[in-house]
Amino acid sequence: MNLKKWQQDFYQGIFHPSQNNIQLACQGINTTGNLSASQRLDIYRDSILGGITDGLSGVFPVCENLVGSQYFSHMLTDFLKQNPSYSPDLGNYGALLPNYIAQFKPAKDLVYLPEVAKLEWLWHKAFNASDVHNNNAAIYTLEQLASITENEQGRIQFVLQPSIQLMQSDYPIHLIWEMNQDNYDGQKQVDLNEGEVNLLIFRAPDYSMHINPLNKDEFIFYQALQAGLIFLDIAKLTFTAPIETLLAPAIQSGLIIGFNIA
Amino acid sequence: MSQLKFKSNAIYGAGLGLRASHYQEVLSSKPNIPWFELLADNYMSDGGLPIERAHKIRQNYPITLHCVGMSLGSCDPLNINYLTRLKALSEKLEPAYISDHLAWASIDGQYTHDLLPLPYNAHTLDHMCERISKVQEFLGRTILIENPSSYLTFEESDMTEWDFISQMAKISGCELLVDINNIYVSSINHKFDPLHYVASLPAEKVKELHLAGFTKMDNYLLDTHSEKVHPPVWQLYRAAIKQFGATPTLIEWDSDVPDFATLHQEALTAERHMWALSQ
Repeated sequence: MNLKKWQQDFYQGIFHPSQNNIQLACQGINTTGNLSASQRLDIYRDSILGGITDGLSGVFPVCENLVGSQYFSHMLTDFLKQNPSYSPDLGNYGALLPNYIAQFKPAKDLVYLPEVAKLEWLWHKAFNASDVHNNNAAIYTLEQLASITENEQGRIQFVLQPSIQLMQSDYPIHLIWEMNQDNYDGQKQVDLNEGEVNLLIFRAPDYSMHINPLNKDEFIFYQALQAGLIFLDIAKLTFTAPIETLLAPAIQSGLIIGFNIA
Repeated sequence: MSQLKFKSNAIYGAGLGLRASHYQEVLSSKPNIPWFELLADNYMSDGGLPIERAHKIRQNYPITLHCVGMSLGSCDPLNINYLTRLKALSEKLEPAYISDHLAWASIDGQYTHDLLPLPYNAHTLDHMCERISKVQEFLGRTILIENPSSYLTFEESDMTEWDFISQMAKISGCELLVDINNIYVSSINHKFDPLHYVASLPAEKVKELHLAGFTKMDNYLLDTHSEKVHPPVWQLYRAAIKQFGATPTLIEWDSDVPDFATLHQEALTAERHMWALSQ
């Protein structure tokens, strides 16, 4: 028995349990007592798939709530087969689930479900993002803005705090998310035809999590900052409001944490 | 670790596995628990609330870091990124011990997020010892290896699990985290004498014990960590304390986690056995 080959066969027997793969995985496993080798493999399969499913339930609780636990597990069956986890941290697994749900034909009538999944993934990323005090992305602090020369002003590259995530959706998914939280006691109806929403997802310095709707100007502004555009190029973008009215709140709210000169 | 940032990193008595649902209670009421085990893999992200909470817990209690991601029995190369994060976490939190399992979890870079069995023979022994030594060298400290619960055995195993573990500890220099529930679960699943297993382990290498509850299935026991410690596991624990002395013991409870008071009661029960038998 070659250990590497057996580990590969075992993996296939778990995630791709064709008759041939199960047979290969069971080679060298003792059949003793009341359980055959393949029944013993089944115990591990249930444990592995159950563990990963539990992990995804933790990251996508609203999706699970919307479709029910049983349907959620069923929906994941092929996802787990098609998308191996490449990190020892189960928390890194699930980035591809929103796209998978979008292609999952039995759920095609739940048009908002992939968008809710994407929102939950971005929430999860923001929750685990690096802390501002550990982040070295900005060379200059905001206090140093006053000492920037006129010549340098256009080349300022503002740095957003590291947890910030942005997304657009055709549906009011932030309301769907909100009404699926444990402490929600408001209205239980959402009008899917309300129109598209732009969302800013971030973790505040006190570790509270926020999902804030943005107007179109704000969304374009934060997108430009996230893309690393210099201030001169941001100023050339089309906004309905003066750019100062976008910049000042971003600085005051702590969403901009510093800057670099490009 | 000559200059500790925290008061102490020594552990004694019966500690608890820290679970997210209990953070608030532990931080606000500061219960009289001698130490906590943190699942290291839950604290390896770049930042955020879990890490902040771990720091706060560590200010009040000694801790151990328990891992499930080293994949020590895998035929893949060791995951240096994982070990680098673990080392950084260990430098921040100064755990009494770092532990992982006699198991594999990944192959070809694909993770199962589970603890999978290995054949017990000379080849696997060399493989495990080499990788444990590399990890210990990388982390700059001895690690503890835990015996797994298992549901299958291999035709190619030519030594018992207790012999394998004893030799592994001797050759690699690792120390042992003996999971009493795992021994009991495997003893029923594979029909061996759990008392003989305990009696065969090198007492001087045993630094920590784990206790948990299993679930009785139709034809086997499943290590679910979802119930109170069962009576035969307490019985085996008492034998272990007689054999190893008063060894720091952890109550693990991962599914259907009860309120904190229930967990605390389990820890107090362990301590009663520990102090009564180790006098």
